[in-house]
Amino acid sequence: MKSRLLNLLAAVVAVAIPVLAHHSFTMFDTTKQITITGTVTSFEWTNPHSYIEIDVPDESGAVKHWSIEMGSPSILQQSGWKFSSLKKGDKTTLVINPLKTGLAGGFLNTATLPTGKVLGNGPGRGPQK
Amino acid sequence: MKTILYAVLVTAPLLTAQSAKTPDLTGVWSPFGGGRGVDPKIAPPPAGQLVLKPEYAKPYEARRAAEAEATKRGEQLATAGSQCIPYGVPTMMAVAVYPVEFIQTAKQLTIISEAFSEVRRVYLDRPQAPIDDVAPGYYGRSVGKWDGDTLVVDTIGIKPTVNGYRGMPHSEKMHITERIKLVTPDVLHDQITIEDAVVLEKPMVYTLAYRRMPDYEMVEFVCDNNREYVDEKGVVRMKIKDK
Repeated sequence: MKSRLLNLLAAVVAVAIPVLAHHSFTMFDTTKQITITGTVTSFEWTNPHSYIEIDVPDESGAVKHWSIEMGSPSILQQSGWKFSSLKKGDKTTLVINPLKTGLAGGFLNTATLPTGKVLGNGPGRGPQK
Repeated sequence: MKTILYAVLVTAPLLTAQSAKTPDLTGVWSPFGGGRGVDPKIAPPPAGQLVLKPEYAKPYEARRAAEAEATKRGEQLATAGSQCIPYGVPTMMAVAVYPVEFIQTAKQLTIISEAFSEVRRVYLDRPQAPIDDVAPGYYGRSVGKWDGDTLVVDTIGIKPTVNGYRGMPHSEKMHITERIKLVTPDVLHDQITIEDAVVLEKPMVYTLAYRRMPDYEMVEFVCDNNREYVDEKGVVRMKIKDK
């Protein structure tokens, strides 16, 4: 009886769900947020995702390279991003959800541009904390 | 000559009156769901139940279970979308929050989805072709005619490898009927009915809702930087650059 009721409820609340654009965000650890500061080596305003490639020095000066995934240009431009928001050589600080694999990659939450402006990753897009 | 002129003068106002009655769906539309805070007058009605024939239900449920298991492990199984393969009809009508543009002329409704730049064409007031004459593809062949204020679109010829609603399987015999209507001047509904006597126990019906995006300029979407790849276990991974 209980399961019949649950089925009924499920049927009542089931609204057509739009399909994911490209992939789910399960590969990123949404329980973790880390902050990285470094120098942009390229800003790729591309589909299906945009990317910030960034060299990040640690305390000893050793540089680690990170690949940071963002939304698509369509999604990003709705939250203030432009193709020219970042360029090679810019210093930036990024808050990201890292990859669960531990590899140097992640999903952008916020970026602080050289102008001091802070941008997110598109309206209602992907993991935060 | 006089007769022709007379005919033009008499029929022209009639034609104008007729076309004035036909709604114009032209515009850019953003899909939205129901849920809290959405006015029930414009919210999409609940989706019907997907009921597959047992021989199709089994592998479908197994796939859904495998996907759920993978999600629990923190992984995603490969999908067509993750490999930048277009969604086709009807899935392309609502991809995440991507806008859909309608361009309506007297003879054709053209629908462009921003995600993957997918295009479908609905020929107005033309007969549907026999299914054997339509090469199976992502968009098939669509014809449309007005039923009062509702555009009724008939689509056939979607190939079985093109995934349907929520990954549902379908045969070459799938027949899609859409009833597209302006619920208010700025809200559009597309009621989609999928019939497939081979795969479905009963027709699957669901409704998509859209809000008008005035002055929105569509953004190009060419999938030329897909860093997601599928590993040997069929799991989606992100390629990392080392510099």
